[in-house]
Amino acid sequence: MKILQVTWKRGNETIKHINKTENSWGIQLTISENRKLGSYTCTVTGEEEFSVAFHLQVPQIEGREKPVISYEGDSAILICKSHSYTPIAWTWYMTNGSEQIAINDSLMLDKYIIDRTDANVTHLKILKLTKEDDGAYWCEAAYELGKSKGKLKLKILSLMVPLKPFLAIVAEVVILVPLILLFEFYSKKKRAEDEKEFDQIEQLR
Amino acid sequence: MCKGGLVCWLSMGCGSGGCPIPSSTAQSCSCRASQGAPGARSRPVAMPPHSDAGPVAGPPDGGWGWVVVFGAFISIGFAYAFPKGIAIFYKEIQDFFGTSYSEIAWVSSIMLATTYGAGPISSILVNRYGSRPVVILGGLLCGIGMVSAAFCTSIVQLYICVGFITGLGLALNLQPSVIIIGRYFLKRRPIANGLAMAGSPVMLCTLAPLNQFLFDNYGWRGSFLILGAILLHCCVAGALFRPISADKVSVKTQSIEEGKEILKEVTKDAIDMNSPTNIHTETKTEEEEERDCCEKVNKYLDFSLFKHRGFLIYLIGNVLMFLGFFAPIVFLAPYAKHIGIDEYSAAFLLSILAIVDMVARPITGIIANSKWVRPRIQYFFSFSIAFNGTCHLLCPLASGYTGLVIYSVFFGLAFGMVCAMLFETLMDLVGASRFTSAVGLVTIAECCTILLGPPIGGTLIDTFGDYKYMFIKCGAVMVLAGTFLFIMNYYNYRMLAKEEKKRKAKEEDTKPVRTENEGRNNWNKEHVQDGPELEPLREEQEGLKKEANGTNEV
Repeated sequence: MKILQVTWKRGNETIKHINKTENSWGIQLTISENRKLGSYTCTVTGEEEFSVAFHLQVPQIEGREKPVISYEGDSAILICKSHSYTPIAWTWYMTNGSEQIAINDSLMLDKYIIDRTDANVTHLKILKLTKEDDGAYWCEAAYELGKSKGKLKLKILSLMVPLKPFLAIVAEVVILVPLILLFEFYSKKKRAEDEKEFDQIEQLR
Repeated sequence: MCKGGLVCWLSMGCGSGGCPIPSSTAQSCSCRASQGAPGARSRPVAMPPHSDAGPVAGPPDGGWGWVVVFGAFISIGFAYAFPKGIAIFYKEIQDFFGTSYSEIAWVSSIMLATTYGAGPISSILVNRYGSRPVVILGGLLCGIGMVSAAFCTSIVQLYICVGFITGLGLALNLQPSVIIIGRYFLKRRPIANGLAMAGSPVMLCTLAPLNQFLFDNYGWRGSFLILGAILLHCCVAGALFRPISADKVSVKTQSIEEGKEILKEVTKDAIDMNSPTNIHTETKTEEEEERDCCEKVNKYLDFSLFKHRGFLIYLIGNVLMFLGFFAPIVFLAPYAKHIGIDEYSAAFLLSILAIVDMVARPITGIIANSKWVRPRIQYFFSFSIAFNGTCHLLCPLASGYTGLVIYSVFFGLAFGMVCAMLFETLMDLVGASRFTSAVGLVTIAECCTILLGPPIGGTLIDTFGDYKYMFIKCGAVMVLAGTFLFIMNYYNYRMLAKEEKKRKAKEEDTKPVRTENEGRNNWNKEHVQDGPELEPLREEQEGLKKEANGTNEV
């Protein structure tokens, strides 16, 4: 049997491991603070070297990939959920240039409303939207051991944007309907004329 | 088969008056004058004297009819597919207004309830004004409803705009489209119906990705705005519904007096007066006063249908069937997720269903039009309902994804078969003239069970925690409905045969009176009434003098 050398590390620091069985080696950790989170690697050196990494982290918050679309003057709601674990607090950030600024809803009551009724879910309602509100927003959940962020995108459109296809389609319908009715009117006229001709021919006979 | 310009009438499966769709295998085929039998409306219309070479009489069965089928395809497609299609927006709207899922689901329920419940209103309007104006109005209503929904600020406003207004617009689309097919087709009516009803799955498959695209680019408000414009295409469909009238008939004026004699006798039992293109003749002056009150009501909505045996059978059977018709579709994807299938594969099951449905409807139309099935179309309909029910009963036995795919295929097939023949069988039972009122009365009765079906299924699922009881309930209800329809239609066919024999006997007695007049034969040949009985079948043979011994073509 080959002798395998097993190393458990966190960064550069080696951690003492326990030989659970002949072929398994484990470490026992007590995560009491944020510093203890991170990546733990296990390296097995025999003829070749194999490495595996374990990432310990706070629950990840899912944002939304597709942007939330809203219109100028309307309001928008951004929602973040934490599924299995209840965070201590939620914070919302908006991006201004490259900075992230926390949103304080008590300061700007008529613009932002943050709904905190359910601890697992947070709603950010933005009122009276303008083009400046367009951009990325972050919802941050604070847990005992750390914080986690989710990204959402808000896209603000002007009313002209859907109006153009709307008017195009309405124009198409407004053209088609009279066209069809006119076609019918003319084909009826033509048939009546043909019948008249036919009758005249009959009478002449 | 019949000589002397008389027509061979097949009494079964052709409305209460029978119709000249003879086939060599027709059992009760009686030779009589083309003016039809009691119970069928028969009113000649005065035409200019030299009308021997008059235009085509009765349903054209082609030509512009196919354009009308295309228009009905669009109209029916929107009416059935739209309520299902906008479910994509519900999650976002739910978040926006902060409501629960059930409050949002009410939008669909209100829309569906209005579409079916406004059936009688639709029927009354079609009776009064014809199909075209009603469909155009319906299209406008839909457009207005959705555009105003784009500016809604509360869920109640959504109920009104999307639920009531758009639902009403869709109701004004659905009924007239089905009705006008009955006016344009007779021989090829099952095919026309199958093709038009295929609009529903096609529209659903188109609307689902379209709605997703609109939502990703314009949000729900912009999407509602654009959908309002798209719904205006129902107006285009309505413009295609060229009115066709029963007065395309040539009648020699000198024979009108003789005609009146026969008509008085023949139309004694005729009580429906629901064609807007109908012109009163003097034959009804004496009876008019008696039946004035009832007729006025029946003119708008023919309540006398409740005395019609075939109509009652259809009504009871269908009301029962709808209790288990829609629930399996609603719960198919959740059931798939419940047994461990991922979301996309579950959605794919519904796509399979829609594709099979799309193909099954026209094919069912073609089969139903064949000369073996058409006289017995009610049996075919009952069979497809029972087949549908059996699929549901067998569904709990399906294990894993493959089993569910097979179930979806058979379900799609059965669903398409039933839907394709849904209105065809009603037309077949009551005839095209009374169909207008019949469809309105049937849809409002079905409205209740359609709405009850999915919630009852949902309650069963919640109570037992298992989907199989819902499938068993739906399957059992549909098999019961199918069996009921089968037995009752057998009885109905037998009673129609008996009545046919009685009429035959009666005609034999009155024959000497009728064959007195010379011009009578000419008049008989040319006179045509609306409804199931028709001339155009005879036009296929050379000359008007040959008997209607033509084949019932597919």
